[in-house]
Amino acid sequence: MATLADTAAPSRDRFARARTLHWLLAGALILASITSLQVGATDVTLSAMLSKLAQGEALSHMERVVLIDIRLPRLAMGVLVGGALAVSGTVMQGLFRNPLADPGIVGISMTAGLGAIVSIVLGGLLPVWITGLTGNYLTPIAAFLFALGTTILLYRVSTRHGRTSVATMLLAGIALGALSGAASGVLVYMADDQQLRDLTFWQMGSLAGASWAKVLAATPLITLAIGAAMMLGRGLNGLALGEATAAHIGSDVQRMKSIAVLSVAGATGAAVAVSGGIGFVGIVVPHLLRLASGPDHRTLLPNAALLGATLLILADVIARVIIAPAELPIGIVTAILGAPVFLWILLTRRGLVEQ
Amino acid sequence: MSLIAESIRVSYGRQEVLRGIDLTAQPGKVTAIVGPNGSGKSTLLGAITASLPFTGQVSLNGRDIGGMKPWELAAQRAVLPQQSRLAFPFTVIEVVRLGLQSGTAGDCPTVPMRALARVGLAHYAEREFHELSGGEAQRVMLARVLAQVWAPVEDGLPRWLLLDEPVSSLDIAHQLQVMQIARDFARAGGGVIAVMHDLNLTAIYADRVAILAEGRMLAFGTPCEVLTDDILSRAYGCDLRVSAPPQDGIPYILPHVASA
Ligand SMILES: Nc1ncnc2c1ncn2[C@@H]1O[C@H](COP(=O)(O)OP(=O)(O)OP(=O)(O)O)[C@@H](O)[C@H]1O
Ligand SMILES: [Mg+2]
Repeated sequence: MATLADTAAPSRDRFARARTLHWLLAGALILASITSLQVGATDVTLSAMLSKLAQGEALSHMERVVLIDIRLPRLAMGVLVGGALAVSGTVMQGLFRNPLADPGIVGISMTAGLGAIVSIVLGGLLPVWITGLTGNYLTPIAAFLFALGTTILLYRVSTRHGRTSVATMLLAGIALGALSGAASGVLVYMADDQQLRDLTFWQMGSLAGASWAKVLAATPLITLAIGAAMMLGRGLNGLALGEATAAHIGSDVQRMKSIAVLSVAGATGAAVAVSGGIGFVGIVVPHLLRLASGPDHRTLLPNAALLGATLLILADVIARVIIAPAELPIGIVTAILGAPVFLWILLTRRGLVEQ
Repeated sequence: MSLIAESIRVSYGRQEVLRGIDLTAQPGKVTAIVGPNGSGKSTLLGAITASLPFTGQVSLNGRDIGGMKPWELAAQRAVLPQQSRLAFPFTVIEVVRLGLQSGTAGDCPTVPMRALARVGLAHYAEREFHELSGGEAQRVMLARVLAQVWAPVEDGLPRWLLLDEPVSSLDIAHQLQVMQIARDFARAGGGVIAVMHDLNLTAIYADRVAILAEGRMLAFGTPCEVLTDDILSRAYGCDLRVSAPPQDGIPYILPHVASA
């Protein structure tokens, strides 16, 4: 017969393990960042530049451009987008109490995609002052606005008398996703060759367009959204027992759901806006972390941000080097790596899904 | 300092399910709510716990629950729902700890293990909740609820256990154990409201019994007062006979002598 102390220990270990993971994942993120600065299409390397600096030499113009204008913003965007996608996946799954929920599932990514397609195909019809104002950012801005609009609409549709029905929200999301898929299909028919190429590239997702301007545009929204999500840990834990029980153990469920929806809209909208449709990060990252250290959202959320950022940076490194000097869209890399992991999780952990 | 519900009405769509219920539960007593399926027992508990829209008034320890924040309510009462689901693979001890997250003064790290030991499942702490049998899962959920309001009295105020069919999946030994837990909680100064189907357990453990039928309170009183042939037969719509006890005056109902 085990004593109380014996039986209490391992579970504290699981929480402690999740805490230790904070540091391990932070370390991994730093390593991945260094790798990402080190490699690229040109043979400029971080180590060479550092040793140059150490000997008091100045960097060449080309080295400065590669490091400061190309690789650093790209790294920053990878961190932002990876963290945003993984955290919004985690929040969505907690909110819907379904480990397969993802911003993709409730139609947010689909409508963001529609926004992008609309801007690419019909952008030419807009008055000049708008296109002049938005410049190259027309597509990301449209994607972001559509994502935000969908989330708010979904929230309105599924909230009656101050209560949000998760089931209604899911089903409405599926309907909206299907609708925007159809609308996108019609627009694709209308597109010319050049537009089609833009579309496929955007749809597959890429960090290739990273610039400091985009990073600066996405940073406030994404950090705000991720910061808000970090406060949801306890609430989402309670929600695992159902909305009524979450309230019974002291959560302000309505407030928590509002914060969750807003943070998902902000993070997904901004991420999709600057990088296109990068899939699987939001589903695979929380799954892996739950396997490693349990489903406690208090540790899951920060770990998801770290692991999401790390994985996206690494995927981006792969995308850059695998067919260098050309470059694969990162969405293809995450899908190739993510889909089998996802299937493997489904096959080995059916209990996660079948309830 | 009691739990008072006054003229509670609840409608689902156009159908009125509770048609004006008054119920007063005293701390120190186990109050049972019995009645046929669909009579509105869970709905009444839902109104008392503010988990569904209702008209009427509910006050808990002298305060209207409408004006209380979720965490204030959670500090004073814990709720065991009729059915529990769990979305992610938490372990048993983690589930019990979820009850502590209401940020109350009782966040003592040993409470979850003691609560588990109370329902006889201390050795299950590290098991995955999803692997448990129905009855084990029900007892773990009870442990979670117990942990949330571990001290029956805090700051001079009674705390409350609101239990919807706490013994529905349990074997006879654990039925007795769980009812004893409820009684001990009440004897220590806390309040207990339990929805029950087993009339004999109700007769043994309840101090007050409310009988619901078709959304109305048919009778309210001590077990001896309300567990009568007439009231039960009307409530359940079948001919039930309450027998005279050999000792200590607790009524019992044998299904053998009932006719539908
Ligand atoms: N969400 C709902 N929507 C519509 N009707 C409902 C809903 N929940 C309960 N009802 C109806 O309200 C009535 C009372 O339900 P309630 O769950 O309170 O019964 P109960 O007394 O707890 O029954 P049981 O003994 O079977 O648990 C039933 O007729 C039921 O069909
Ligand atoms: Mg019921």
